Amino acid sequence: MHITDKLSSSNKSARRVRRKFEEAKSLSITSLLDELTIILVFLVKNISTEAVKISSDPAIQYPTTITNDELLAKGVATPIKIFPDRIVVGTEALEYGSPADLLENPKKRQDLITYLSAEVNSILQQKDAETCLLVQADYSIPCDYITEIVRAGTAAGYSYIYFATLEDADWLQKYNLSLAQQ
Amino acid sequence: MERYRPSAMRQQKSQTIPQEPNLVPIMNLFLTIIPMLMMMVVISQIALLALNFSQGEGGVTTGGGGGGGGPVTEKVEIHILGKNYAASTNFLGMEIREPGVATKNIPAINGFYDYPSLDKALQEIRSRKGDLNDITVLVHPDVLYGDLMKTIDLCKVHGFSQVHYSAPKVQYY
Repeated sequence: MHITDKLSSSNKSARRVRRKFEEAKSLSITSLLDELTIILVFLVKNISTEAVKISSDPAIQYPTTITNDELLAKGVATPIKIFPDRIVVGTEALEYGSPADLLENPKKRQDLITYLSAEVNSILQQKDAETCLLVQADYSIPCDYITEIVRAGTAAGYSYIYFATLEDADWLQKYNLSLAQQ
Repeated sequence: MERYRPSAMRQQKSQTIPQEPNLVPIMNLFLTIIPMLMMMVVISQIALLALNFSQGEGGVTTGGGGGGGGPVTEKVEIHILGKNYAASTNFLGMEIREPGVATKNIPAINGFYDYPSLDKALQEIRSRKGDLNDITVLVHPDVLYGDLMKTIDLCKVHGFSQVHYSAPKVQYY
């Protein structure tokens, strides 16, 4: 090092002062976390396994009703979904066949009663459980098929039968309006 | 006068801003759970209509009403007549049968069942029979399920908590 350099480096006024940069502020995720906690609590509160079991099917056009009966507290429901072209039975969604099989095929009708009886027996093994059959049918299904399902359910030993609908307190007013417009 | 200590200066330098708790793992957990729960949540919750059975009734009874001796019961029946029946009788609609009262016919309007009239008829029955809980709905085989549900629903709205379901034996001539 040259002496002049040494002298210049010792000169305080000429010393380069490094500017201190402010630290970048981190993004606060506390509010987001609060929001997620609220959503989580809401979802956990609203969700229940029973609701999932008797969830509505988008392929079924449910009839609308004003009243809404509660499922028994100790009721264990076996769902039967009747679509216009097929029937799905049980929580495992087993394919049964077409609705016409209920009326035209005695063997298939007997198979349904056998299956439902097995379901009743398995439900009754649970303590204090009540057997409920939950019929979820499309609006346009003729009642002949519903009658056969109810017959099979009662023959199998179900104590309670429920029909799935969509709650609409104003259906009668809407119906009245549509009748008036015709 | 306070003495200056070089070591104190070093200590000051080592002090840093207190660290925020690491929220990344909990955020990951939330971001996994919330979509899963949202997939499970039922947007349109279905309602339920309970069907009741009277004693000795095997779910669906078959018959045309009426009956022989024994005490007269206050049995109110709503017959929902199907289109096949209408083809032979030229009457599509509903009938309300009560013992000791003339049968009330509720004709369909343009092929649609007249629920507002049924509503009024049930209201009138309720005003006459305040303590009656039982009512029977007899439905023809070709009547649609939606029409059956609407009829049962109106019965329940008017306080007939025990709605019985019956399928009449239909003979078309």
